[in-house]
Amino acid sequence: MMTKGLIFWWYGDGYRLFAKKILTKLGDTVDFFSIGSLLKTLFAPYRQISANASGVSVDGKILAFIDRLVSRLVGGVARIGIVLAGIVVIALQLIFSIISFIFWPLLPLMPIISIVLWVMGVAL
Amino acid sequence: MNDLNKFNYNSTRAKYARLGHKLNSVIINIILNIFAFSMLIFGIILIVTGNSIGWLLIGISSIFFIFIIVTEMLLVKVPLGKTEDINDLLSSNSLALMDKNPTPKKIADKLIRTRSGRFLALRFGIIPRLLEGIANDLPDDITPIFEISRKIMKKIGATQISGGILAVAIIESHENHEEILARMRLSLDDLYEGVTWYNYLHGLVKDSKKKRRDGGIARDFTFGFTPMLSRFGQNISAIRNANMKTQIFRTTNKEAIAQMIEIFSGGGRQNVALIGPEGCGRSTIVNAFSEELLDANSKIKNNLKFRQIFKLDASALMSGTDGQGDIERLVTMLLNEAYSAKNIIIYLDNAHLFFEAGVGSVDISNLLLPILEAGKLRTILSFDEQRFLEISAKNPALTNALNKIIVTPADENETMKIMENQVPYLEYRHKVTYTYWALKEAYRLGERYVKDLAMPGRAIRVLEDSARYSKDGLVFGESVSEAIEKSEGVKLQTSTDTVEKKDRLLNLESLIHERMIDQEQAVHAVSDALRRAAAGVRNENKPIGTYLFLGPTGVGKTELAKALSEVYFNGESEIIRIDMNEYVESSDVNRLIAEGATDAMSLTAQVQKHPFSVVLLDEIEKAAPEVLTTLLQMLDEGILRDTKNREISFRDAIVICTSNAGADLIREKIKNGEGYDSLKDELVNHLIESREFKPEFLNRFDEICIFKPLEKDDLMKICDILIKNVNKTLAPQKISVSLDDDAKALLIEKGYDPMLGARPMRRIVSKTVENIVAKKSLGGEIGSGSNVIITKAEIERELE
Repeated sequence: MMTKGLIFWWYGDGYRLFAKKILTKLGDTVDFFSIGSLLKTLFAPYRQISANASGVSVDGKILAFIDRLVSRLVGGVARIGIVLAGIVVIALQLIFSIISFIFWPLLPLMPIISIVLWVMGVAL
Repeated sequence: MNDLNKFNYNSTRAKYARLGHKLNSVIINIILNIFAFSMLIFGIILIVTGNSIGWLLIGISSIFFIFIIVTEMLLVKVPLGKTEDINDLLSSNSLALMDKNPTPKKIADKLIRTRSGRFLALRFGIIPRLLEGIANDLPDDITPIFEISRKIMKKIGATQISGGILAVAIIESHENHEEILARMRLSLDDLYEGVTWYNYLHGLVKDSKKKRRDGGIARDFTFGFTPMLSRFGQNISAIRNANMKTQIFRTTNKEAIAQMIEIFSGGGRQNVALIGPEGCGRSTIVNAFSEELLDANSKIKNNLKFRQIFKLDASALMSGTDGQGDIERLVTMLLNEAYSAKNIIIYLDNAHLFFEAGVGSVDISNLLLPILEAGKLRTILSFDEQRFLEISAKNPALTNALNKIIVTPADENETMKIMENQVPYLEYRHKVTYTYWALKEAYRLGERYVKDLAMPGRAIRVLEDSARYSKDGLVFGESVSEAIEKSEGVKLQTSTDTVEKKDRLLNLESLIHERMIDQEQAVHAVSDALRRAAAGVRNENKPIGTYLFLGPTGVGKTELAKALSEVYFNGESEIIRIDMNEYVESSDVNRLIAEGATDAMSLTAQVQKHPFSVVLLDEIEKAAPEVLTTLLQMLDEGILRDTKNREISFRDAIVICTSNAGADLIREKIKNGEGYDSLKDELVNHLIESREFKPEFLNRFDEICIFKPLEKDDLMKICDILIKNVNKTLAPQKISVSLDDDAKALLIEKGYDPMLGARPMRRIVSKTVENIVAKKSLGGEIGSGSNVIITKAEIERELE
């Protein structure tokens, strides 16, 4: 009775719970890297570091424009860097999650599978 | 119905729960993990090196992994079933502790092993011994307990039947449960609240383990640096983010937060003024608002998301600058920085400090007002309501520039919920545990005695103060009483009152008579009032007692007030004496109720400082009618408002007014042998007819006590008391004085004056006895250890 219940749980509620955990962790990682807001503000001035151009001469306005451009470029580079790092981490986590998800139903079968592989003498 | 309450020891949930209970150990978990991972790694190494036996190790490790996963995800906290069956509703912990054939007694015995059972034991005193005393060992009696548990679960909105619910159900199932709980000053509703409280705290702990999404590492990339703000301000968002989420229980506060979100998300003036009395929860609203802004999952507009709140403190700014000009420059820089950063909301706590010059405050309204009026920089200002009125009266433009949100004090239910939420933090800070009774007392006594804060801040402060009076790390109701007694100068009845104190109260009359003689009716009346107060059966919305002492001069009216103060109110220093002949003009009312800061000796100022006192208003008949009218509310409701309109409580004072009015009538009637009651009626009528007092004034007193004139026999006793007082004065010099009978008779003869009562007697004792002792002492006739017996001849010599 108890074993039967455990098997039902493993392939039913347990599997759902595991999937939910995986998704939550993936969500946490996405939030950690702020991918969404980084993409939305990819070329916004970095940390608002730029000169104020209001009420100055044309030269000043050009300088301010260049200043802002540089700030945007710095921001873009920093954000792209983090987005790329984030994508790598998230991709790796995703791969691991998918493997875990696939492996979950196989785990209870592992003792039998491993005995078969041992008897067959499978090795690298 | 009964089938639903039939416990099945062999149900799958029960088996899981028992197994989980056994396996739920950190050591077992570590061992299993070590085995699992070492076998997995070793197995992989073997396979890679060409040895197929590695598969066997991997197979074994997978068993360990399954074990770990099943224990963690299923057995330790077995999910609830889907039916109304008791086997589906019992919590994992309770289920694990159930016996094969459970009886109420067996359950009671084990409840202390559940967290919720321990919680109830500690905070409500529902200890195992109590439960075992009520519960029986009949297996059939478990059915009603399960039934009651299910009812409680539904009533309090719980999802499962925990150990705490079972404990409450065991009590509720007992026919005399109301009596049992009353002895512990509890009710069933309190216990329901206790279980809800536990569930709430349990939920908080669970939530705190969840990772909070707050925008991640690049959240602030688009916003500017704020070095100046970081130096001179306090980033509330950063502080709050590191802790548990602030819980908001009050609907009004939730509405206030929603209003703030609406104002700051919209296009109008970007400022909010939170107006409410100190302690009503303005800071809590700002804290909760800051957390809402940093919550990635909250449903607020993007233009407000991830904005941070910086608190500016007037005194911190002043300490960092030199003079008004400097402060203005610094504030301008800070506000510019906040505006440029684009993610900052400025929070001016106690904002009145920025609108008035004084100690610890600075008037920069000229700088702030245009900013607030322009409404571009997001700003939160919190004001005490009274201060806001004062500032807006001086500066009407400010009121028009602000979006006002009124914050009101919390009611009892809200305050209890807020305290329950705050208790874990207070316990962590003060290293104590609060009982539920302590929380209730903190509200009740805080409401009554602490006046400078609003609820819930008031109750929380009382709880904090009570931590100092904990016993064995537990804060009881008595600890709260003690804290209030010490901080507010009041005296409260507690169950820990000593037998000596109780005896003192029971024998109050004889103790008072050690200082004064006769006047039985008055002594009895005030003694009764004190006993009623001490036993907690008096009307708490009035002074302990209000008495009008009428009688000729020198008969003991003032002396009784002093005796009371000494016997009950910790000494004569607890007497507040006002000579009403100094308040004969109508304009004297202001002096009588002047606020403490301007006149420390006014009646209101003195009572505010010493609420637990005898208030003696001497010669009340000489006060102006307007003064007497002012006193009506004090006599009636125990409240008097000072010139600042602050409520001063007289509810822990005994108010005694003395008057010589009608003294001649008293003397005449007593001489004619008239009875006390008829004399009293006649006297009251006389006072009203002669317009010395208005009927509404006389009506306000609990009792009008008539002091009869003293007779020669009384003077004998007074003489003894006066000699006793002389001996008390001489005690440090180890000299004692006594009078022979003739000397005493002479003193009485010379000291008796029916018109002036005991006063001439006091003067003559001072003139004779004290003088004789002084001369003997200076002449070296007596020294330490001497016993001076004064004779009639010596007295005569002194009187010559």
